[in-house]
Amino acid sequence: MKRKRSALEKVDADLPNLQHKIRSDPPSYENEFLNQHAQYASLLELFLQSPTTTDDTGIVRLRDLIDFVSHVADCYRATTAGFAGDLTALLQRHHETLEAELRDKIVGSLVLLRRKEIIDSHALLQTLWPLLVSTHSKALRELLFTKILSDLRTANAKTTNHKLNREMQTTCFNLVSGDPASSKGLWAVKLTRELWKRQVWTDAKAVSVMEAAALSQDAKVVTGGVRFFLGGDQEREEAADEDSDEEDGLDMRQLRHQAGINKKTAKRDRELKAAAAKVKRKEKKKKAPHPLNFSALHLLHDPQTFAEKLFQLHLQPAQPKVKLNLEQKLLVLQLVSRLVGLHKLTLLPLYSYFIKFLSPRQPSVTSFLASLAQGTHNLVPPDVLEPLVQKIANEFVSEAAAAEVASAGLNAIREMCARQPLAMSETLLQDLVQYRKSKDKGVQMAARGLLSLYREVGAGMLRKRDRGRDSTLKLRSGDMEAHRRFGFVEDGGIEGLELLEKWKEEQGVEDEEEDEAKGWENWDAQSDSSESSGGWVNVESDGEDIDVSDSEEEREKAAAAKKQKAKTEEVKDSDKENVAATAPQDDNTDAKTPDPSRNTASLEPEAALKREEARISKLATTRILTPADLAKLHELRTAAAVTSALPATKRRKLQQAAQQAARHGDDALTSADIEGLASLSHKASKEEKIRMARGERVDGVQTEKNDHRSTTARRKEKKASEGKSTTNREKARKKNFLMTLGKAKRKGKRSLVEHRKVLKAHVERGKKGGRRGNK
Amino acid sequence: MSKITVAGVRTNVQELLKHSNEEKKRNFLETVELQIGLKNYDPQRDKRFSGTVKLPRVPRPNMAVCILGDQHDIDRAKHIGVDAMSSDDLKKLNKNKKLIKKLARKYDAFVASDSLIKQIPRLLGPGLSKAGKFPTPVSHAEDLNAKITEVKSTIKFQLKKVLCMGVAVGNVDMEEDELIANVMLAINYLVSLLKKGWQNVGSLTLKATMSPPKRLY
Repeated sequence: MKRKRSALEKVDADLPNLQHKIRSDPPSYENEFLNQHAQYASLLELFLQSPTTTDDTGIVRLRDLIDFVSHVADCYRATTAGFAGDLTALLQRHHETLEAELRDKIVGSLVLLRRKEIIDSHALLQTLWPLLVSTHSKALRELLFTKILSDLRTANAKTTNHKLNREMQTTCFNLVSGDPASSKGLWAVKLTRELWKRQVWTDAKAVSVMEAAALSQDAKVVTGGVRFFLGGDQEREEAADEDSDEEDGLDMRQLRHQAGINKKTAKRDRELKAAAAKVKRKEKKKKAPHPLNFSALHLLHDPQTFAEKLFQLHLQPAQPKVKLNLEQKLLVLQLVSRLVGLHKLTLLPLYSYFIKFLSPRQPSVTSFLASLAQGTHNLVPPDVLEPLVQKIANEFVSEAAAAEVASAGLNAIREMCARQPLAMSETLLQDLVQYRKSKDKGVQMAARGLLSLYREVGAGMLRKRDRGRDSTLKLRSGDMEAHRRFGFVEDGGIEGLELLEKWKEEQGVEDEEEDEAKGWENWDAQSDSSESSGGWVNVESDGEDIDVSDSEEEREKAAAAKKQKAKTEEVKDSDKENVAATAPQDDNTDAKTPDPSRNTASLEPEAALKREEARISKLATTRILTPADLAKLHELRTAAAVTSALPATKRRKLQQAAQQAARHGDDALTSADIEGLASLSHKASKEEKIRMARGERVDGVQTEKNDHRSTTARRKEKKASEGKSTTNREKARKKNFLMTLGKAKRKGKRSLVEHRKVLKAHVERGKKGGRRGNK
Repeated sequence: MSKITVAGVRTNVQELLKHSNEEKKRNFLETVELQIGLKNYDPQRDKRFSGTVKLPRVPRPNMAVCILGDQHDIDRAKHIGVDAMSSDDLKKLNKNKKLIKKLARKYDAFVASDSLIKQIPRLLGPGLSKAGKFPTPVSHAEDLNAKITEVKSTIKFQLKKVLCMGVAVGNVDMEEDELIANVMLAINYLVSLLKKGWQNVGSLTLKATMSPPKRLY
């Protein structure tokens, strides 16, 4: 036996064995290693003399030796100092002619040396990146890309490696912007996109790489860059969701339970420990502060210039430097209009560019309409938009047009007008609103959408009978202006504050400090509990302290009021010339302090309104809204909004309107939004029907809605996927009838004493907490 | 600090005013700024918020305002002694980016006549909106002086590329109560803007231009 082993050792080809031994005891095997290293050196020299003519056995031998040396290089650092350099040189000089397996081995060895920290990330990337860009071999490119990506990810795993990131980003940027006409920039785009998705790169520098890509002169690079801006953030979100989904798969309790029952082996033990560590890591991640994740669109350095350049380079010229097809052009257009809408940029030529595409025959016209709508915002001059709205109305919305066309047109107009209500002329609006009597559901809905929008934003433009009750009342009372003004930004207030104040008055809370303290009670604890509990705050108990009538606070307020009044008078005295300036202020302060003499006087409506406003703001200016206050505010607001007395149909309408309003102006608009109901009435193709029957969505994802199986089957599958078995109840229900027969028979024949015993035992057991209760 | 009280704000404001009015009086009017740090805020999912609110007092009386108006408004502006420009003056800038930038930098806010404001994007291009100083409209019926005060007392909360921001809420010449009212309104408005209320607020700091910061929350 012993002889056999020693014989094996003599075979110098047994490198893995030697490697194993060296690992356990490097100094005593140094000679053997030096032997092998010398062999490697001579083979390499031979190879370098004639790289193409070396025979197969030589290459295999060299490959094995490279593998061996790189594995044990960390044990003999002095001897192998030049090893990494040799490999790098070999790869750089001969990567085109090297035999594929040897080449891959060299790349792998370099990565291994990086993992053993013999070379640093910088050196590795400096070697691999130029190869990735220049090589013609597809296999090598793929390998290099994955290696580079994983190296960057590991370098950023614990803490962000700013230096390396900056270096790499600069390299990427130079690649893209250095030679805009070449397609090599695609690699920079790919890498940046991947790292953005993994949240490794989240800063403005990565975005600037993509900015340069979008402005390059190669169609592929351009679309890569543009797609990143349009979808990169969503991709990142999805990736993050996937990550967080994974943890649901691991149920620690179940694993521990299984470990207690199943046979104990070292492997299972290890697995359990690994799972525990994983769960712990996830927990830690969950508690970690939220990473700052700004959308790429927000991190742009100068959106105005970027949008202008994109437009001038790719869309405006009749013969652009880059030939983009319609789909790619649409992408660019989407990005430009998104930027314009999001950052409220001024890019007037964009709107006239749209004109020639606004006809129902234009391919993918709904995308054009969506782009136009999302490129509209409240700082676009109305006279630029008016012709566009007019054209859409003329081309799309007519009795003769097909229903889908008309509804798309109306939807597009609504979306535009939601962002810039002034783009519509009065006669056109009154004309379009008539379509709510249309027979087609889609057109009807679209016209109604337009009507309800203008009831909110410009009721004065509607005919009197179309205005609806609420808007008419608001118009009459002066709450709403009949016409909007361009550039007017409404001042925000705290919504529902007057409700809160009224409520406080009704509750009669006088001791404000105590109330304030109560409002902060254990609010932080609630924040830790899940969001679904809705931040319920105990506010009911502050009705207790009612009786104090003239509290300190009240007196303080009165004093403050006096002081303020005295001050305004001083001001009046001091500069009489500026009476006009102080007048409104004076009015303000007077209104704020409850003054009986003014209360009785009959005031003109304007002043009354001002008084009202000032009175409301008293709450906001004298105390801090506590979490309890905010919760109550929210509650009151929803209570006021849900008019439960209304019939169900009206309520639904209100909810729909609220949903419309809740959609943020910053959101992107898709062609599906423009198509509206028409997209639902689209006829399914045969393939789609088959998919539906299979219970899949059109894009191949299993869905609940189209799942044509029985409820039981679905429930069963859900249970199984959660790793749960049947409940006791289910077992009882499914138990073979014959097996239950005996007990049922016996049960009927029990004596009273026996019966009592059973019942008693049941009660006892219940007290103890069940059969397996904690004793 | 897990909560903020009226009394706490009051003491901080008192200290602040004392420091800049008595201990270290400066040769200029110090502005009081509210600095806000947000937390647990995902700018993508929660949507970036922005909002304007009118404070009870003008925080920065020395703000430079320019009127871009027709003849009627220019006359009114001259009458109350505010800088004014006509559309011809604007045309003279000739869409020159540098000149427009200079104009935007010279003033803190702009007010434009209703008749002129629609032409502003054409005349001046993106310069003003880029600087966040797009004019506020004023009609002939409105009192110009009142409008200017309104513009001066309106503050804007806007989240840029970082999760912190600052707004001017007052100056050290103001009465204690006035300053407190401004601070309170600003805080309340901010909190009502945030999706999760106080859970999104990381810190609130009050600071005059040359004073040490006072942490409120």
